Amino acid sequence: MFKDLDPILHSQLRLATMSLLISVKQAEFTFIKEKTNSTAGNLSVQVQKLKEAGYIEVIKEFKDNYPNTTCKITQKGIKAFEEYVKALQQYLQVKK
Amino acid sequence: MEEKNLSGEESLKLINRMIHEAKGYFYETGLSAIIYGFSILVCTVLAWLFEKKLISFPFHPFLLMTPVFFIQGWVQYKEEKKKKVKTFTDEVIDYVWTGFFLSTFAALCGNFVNAGYVIVTIILFLTGFAVFITGLISKFRYNVFCGTICLLIAIISFFVQNVNIYLLLAVDAVLVWLIPGFILRSHFKKQKHGGSELLL
Repeated sequence: MFKDLDPILHSQLRLATMSLLISVKQAEFTFIKEKTNSTAGNLSVQVQKLKEAGYIEVIKEFKDNYPNTTCKITQKGIKAFEEYVKALQQYLQVKK
Repeated sequence: MEEKNLSGEESLKLINRMIHEAKGYFYETGLSAIIYGFSILVCTVLAWLFEKKLISFPFHPFLLMTPVFFIQGWVQYKEEKKKKVKTFTDEVIDYVWTGFFLSTFAALCGNFVNAGYVIVTIILFLTGFAVFITGLISKFRYNVFCGTICLLIAIISFFVQNVNIYLLLAVDAVLVWLIPGFILRSHFKKQKHGGSELLL
């Protein structure tokens, strides 16, 4: 049976963020912004949504006297991402 | 990146592209490897000259390594803080080298029972092992090759259980820390001017 795609992940910037975080232990906000080619404001909103869903952990600290934000995927996030990829593959097979 | 509804194919492409981007991240200045390699090289040569009675020294030259550990640790800490991403590869390599340093300290305890030059042989094996594993994990072919050479040097050291064993340690220092340190340093400088991450 076809599973619905997770609406939290089925958004370009949120999916890009999750895809970056799934392959590393943790990444700074500036790195995600650079790689996704997004604006700080838009990324902040999407990161907040992922955080509220419990998919990522956001760590705010000071680095050389400047505020620094680091993001890390959670177990719930890993599970959701895996399910999203499975559902996507299933969806593409049905389409073929 | 704009917010838009993605098709299935577009989603998969995006996932692949981002995973590739994240895995390609590499930040290493090579500075801590150069400091450590140069210190070991100097200490081993001094120890060789000292035990050959060619120079006099107020204490055993290897004791000079004590402040070096703190300096190198501080440099390493600073470097780690500059990394924007911590990859799983970085984490595993850190575990390998933490294991190496703990094992080296454990081997040095052999001095309490005058175990002699066999301690250096153990350190040579540990170095070869750590470098070989690091090379396999990071897919840095130089380290795989260098690790194999270090293991051969360790085998040779069984036949050199005298003061000359320090020279084998000096060769290890050049192969394991100094040469890769300078390679990383030159890549880092290129990367800094080019503005892109180093892909190994």
